[in-house]
Amino acid sequence: MHSLKLTPVNDIIYTDFDEAEGILVDLNTKQYYRLNETGSLIWRGLEKGNTVDEIVSQMQAAYEVSADHARASVEELLTNLESNKLVKRL
Amino acid sequence: MPARDFGSRRLTVELTNICNLHCSYCLRDEDALYHTPANFLLPEFLESIIKQAKEVIGIDHVAFTGGEPTLHPQFDQILAVVSTNGLKTSFVTNGWNFQKIWPTLAAHRDVITHAAFSLDGVTREEHDKWRGDGSFVRIVRAFSLCFAGDLPFLIKVGIRRDTFERLEQFALFAARMRAAGLNFGHVMPTSPEVEESSALNLDERRGAEQEVANLARIFKMKIGMDVGYHNVNPAPACSALAGYSCNVDYQGRLSLCCNLSGFRGAIGEEDVAADLRIQDFARAYAALSIIAREKVTARQTRLHDLTTHELPVDLYSASPCLFCLDTSGKLPWRHSATESPMSSRSLPVLGAVG
Repeated sequence: MHSLKLTPVNDIIYTDFDEAEGILVDLNTKQYYRLNETGSLIWRGLEKGNTVDEIVSQMQAAYEVSADHARASVEELLTNLESNKLVKRL
Repeated sequence: MPARDFGSRRLTVELTNICNLHCSYCLRDEDALYHTPANFLLPEFLESIIKQAKEVIGIDHVAFTGGEPTLHPQFDQILAVVSTNGLKTSFVTNGWNFQKIWPTLAAHRDVITHAAFSLDGVTREEHDKWRGDGSFVRIVRAFSLCFAGDLPFLIKVGIRRDTFERLEQFALFAARMRAAGLNFGHVMPTSPEVEESSALNLDERRGAEQEVANLARIFKMKIGMDVGYHNVNPAPACSALAGYSCNVDYQGRLSLCCNLSGFRGAIGEEDVAADLRIQDFARAYAALSIIAREKVTARQTRLHDLTTHELPVDLYSASPCLFCLDTSGKLPWRHSATESPMSSRSLPVLGAVG
């Protein structure tokens, strides 16, 4: 998954909330999703077209966590997003 | 028949004349919206009006409109005025600025009962066609903020030729976006072109109103019609005519309601009672009450005459809003150059029978 690129599916609208968190609306299913601070960071990375590796680096820098910890968090969320059909692999 | 419940007494206030969008069916005067310097109602003046209105008629709610009320540069102070005077508030908005003003709304969350968003379609294409590119995404972001921030919101939809066969779609969309309510309202005929292209005829309106009633029965979410629907009850048809609400326009004038105020293409301002910059609220409201009573009486007379002569109730008599518009100089295009708008009160002359 390291150099993998995932991208938001069409018709997902992201909104910043309370400075750090975020909300996703899937206009295909009309479902809301709430992203915590780390989730918002990951989503914003996806929107910019960053690879998984790049997003992991951003998380490490933002939260001063180990590479393994960052990677596990990122991959867990990405799996979640993918299973909810909010992102797709490029 | 039990008296209708118009809710608590309230004030509608136009915070500004300007808007950042250009919806062709808007009922506000085009010059005021786009070609007149921006006028923003001052917080101090608003406070004076609120205090007087509380004392004179006991308002407990102020609803903000415009133009686009969230364009007011002192929106924060405006909400603070409502708060310090112990009232609640709501506002109607196109949603464009909503993300920008969210911190202000969050700071005054306790005084805001809801936000009301105007929606023209349930897809980007449909909504943006009327409101400009990017409008749909902005309004959905606004819904998101309301949902996450626990701020109830309503969606308002105009019933027009392009929407009246898709009311259920709007209801499904609003429900899935977690709107607290959905209000439909007939588009106002601001010109013969709008009437021709967008407004429904009498039968179509009644069909749409029946569909709204059906949707209201089916959905858990509150669904209703804004006043203006078919109503031949001679009692005061709306909160304004019943004395439960009144409007302050962006120039500080007290008028009957926000539908009539600054109506696009109007030549009359019979709905305006007084200028609150120079007249106290009590006297202005007394003048407004006379205007309201006269409107109610005029409509009662019209409906009575139609019944007495066994004539069908036409569209402009059946809809209280259209009646008020038609008899207040708001629809000059409906009347010839030599005919006074007030002559729409008179009935066709009947020949002798036999």
